[in-house]
Amino acid sequence: MKKNYGIVAAFDTTPALYQACLQVRDAGYTQWDSLTPFPVHGLDAAMGMRRSQVPRFSLTGGLIGFCTGMSFIWWANAYEYPLIVGGKPYFSPMFAFPISYELTILFTAFATIAGMFLLNRLPMHYHPLLKAPQFVRASDDRFYIVIEASDPKFNPAQTRALLEQAGGKDIAEIEE
Amino acid sequence: MSAPTAPTALANKFLTAGIAGLAVTALAFGFSENQQAVALAYLVGISYWTAVCVGMLLLILIHHIVDAGWSTVIRRQFEHGLSAFSWLFVLFLPLLISAWVKPGLIWPWMDLTHVLPGGHGTVASDILYQKKASFLNVRMFTGMTLSFFAVWIWLSARLRKASFAQDADGDVKWTFMNRKTAAFGIPLTALALSFAAIYWMKSLEYHWFSTMYGVWFFANCIRAGLAFGVMITYWLYMRGDYKGIFNTNQLHCLVALAFAFVVFWAYITFSQYFLIWNANVPEETFWYNIREHGDWMWVGMLILFGHFFFPFIYWLSYRRKSTLRPALFISCWIAVIILVDLCYNVLPAMKDAHDDPLPFLSLHLLWVLTSVVGVGGICVAAYLRSFGTAKIIPIRDPRIRESLTHHEATAPETYQLEAHS
Repeated sequence: MKKNYGIVAAFDTTPALYQACLQVRDAGYTQWDSLTPFPVHGLDAAMGMRRSQVPRFSLTGGLIGFCTGMSFIWWANAYEYPLIVGGKPYFSPMFAFPISYELTILFTAFATIAGMFLLNRLPMHYHPLLKAPQFVRASDDRFYIVIEASDPKFNPAQTRALLEQAGGKDIAEIEE
Repeated sequence: MSAPTAPTALANKFLTAGIAGLAVTALAFGFSENQQAVALAYLVGISYWTAVCVGMLLLILIHHIVDAGWSTVIRRQFEHGLSAFSWLFVLFLPLLISAWVKPGLIWPWMDLTHVLPGGHGTVASDILYQKKASFLNVRMFTGMTLSFFAVWIWLSARLRKASFAQDADGDVKWTFMNRKTAAFGIPLTALALSFAAIYWMKSLEYHWFSTMYGVWFFANCIRAGLAFGVMITYWLYMRGDYKGIFNTNQLHCLVALAFAFVVFWAYITFSQYFLIWNANVPEETFWYNIREHGDWMWVGMLILFGHFFFPFIYWLSYRRKSTLRPALFISCWIAVIILVDLCYNVLPAMKDAHDDPLPFLSLHLLWVLTSVVGVGGICVAAYLRSFGTAKIIPIRDPRIRESLTHHEATAPETYQLEAHS
């Protein structure tokens, strides 16, 4: 028999899902997720999620972009091929600033996109949940909670009981 | 929901402080050997509070024109702030009178016999004045200043009337009226604030030109409006009025907007400097040259790091934008630095015998403080007087529900606004 991936439970309305998320969160689970056809405001807090780590990538990208602009213009105009333009010094942060500023924005954008894909691990070509036939409705009119078997608190019987008590329907185990 | 208790005692305190500040400034003007210094300090004070009120006016107009949701909850406080405009007009009258009674005391071009330094004749014989004479004359100055205040006071009256009337009858027509006011009010306010900056501050050194000047003042106006918005939020939250009304997401939006304008201000101010630095035209560079003289160099550095880098880096993190104390700290900081920025633009117009600017750190700074306290005391008192006359939020605005539940599900626990960082 294949390994168990986790347990999935369905909900019909956003309030039901919201309340169930509060219960799963307070039960101490960490490896779980909720799936909704549209964004539900406040669900992040109800799931106890921390803020995304993507801004750290953005900041790093921005700093690299700024330093790249400054150092490249210094290297090109003041070091490798000293050149006087318009009676200005070989290097000044004044004229290097517009380019550094543009590169800050450009590299921030690149790092943000790259960081997002690194963290959410997309594109993902296979996911065990895709095997569950009813799951297609997560992109239509139903809401799901999945608790993964890798969660330290996972216990097939207790987890199923928690989801039942939280009002989950069509509770099913998903194979890896 | 009834109107909040009017803070009458607090309003009286501010009024007293305001009258005291104005009295000291007036005495200083009467007895000082350098009347120009006191007058310029007063110009800084009145420009500062005009910037705060214009910023609030613009925020309301932008709110209406884009049909914004989240900002409905803070809009009412800005509407109260607009009540200070008519007082600002009254307080500006001494400057207008001085333009007629003692031309040249503040703005040198008003006195055609004023001798230019370096043997360049008088203002009347100055080609750079002659070309601008149809714009720079006392009649135009007076007419334009009257029309700035007419625009601001009229728009404020319309916005306040519609908003307060909607509290009573809940009619959606008031929202549409405000949207129309916003449509023609934004260009009118933009023109008025640009010309105000040009006439009141830029023309102090009328040789100079900069296409960024109006938008520089605009950036300071919006930053001042938002900074005082955060302070009012803190005050109302500590007072208890905003408990259960103002949540983390609204605060985050307010501060994120202020953060965006930190960058906008830097963009504008850098552009002005960069264009002049790059073109290297004497009629433009002299303005920055005198601002590198003496301690003005360090004032410039303070503005560069204090008006941009410090607030920018401090507010980069989400947590500091969404908790009250860090938001309040930087807002107060910005409110002070805006004053320094206005001093940097106005006060170097005072010259010594060698045509060098008088230093920043001197007795004149005291008159800046008395002027800011004087004009500010009256403005804050006007806000507080208006505060008790209407409900704390526009309770029947069509967007109020959306604003109160901004980005939130119905869970009550998420309404708790963290007061400590």
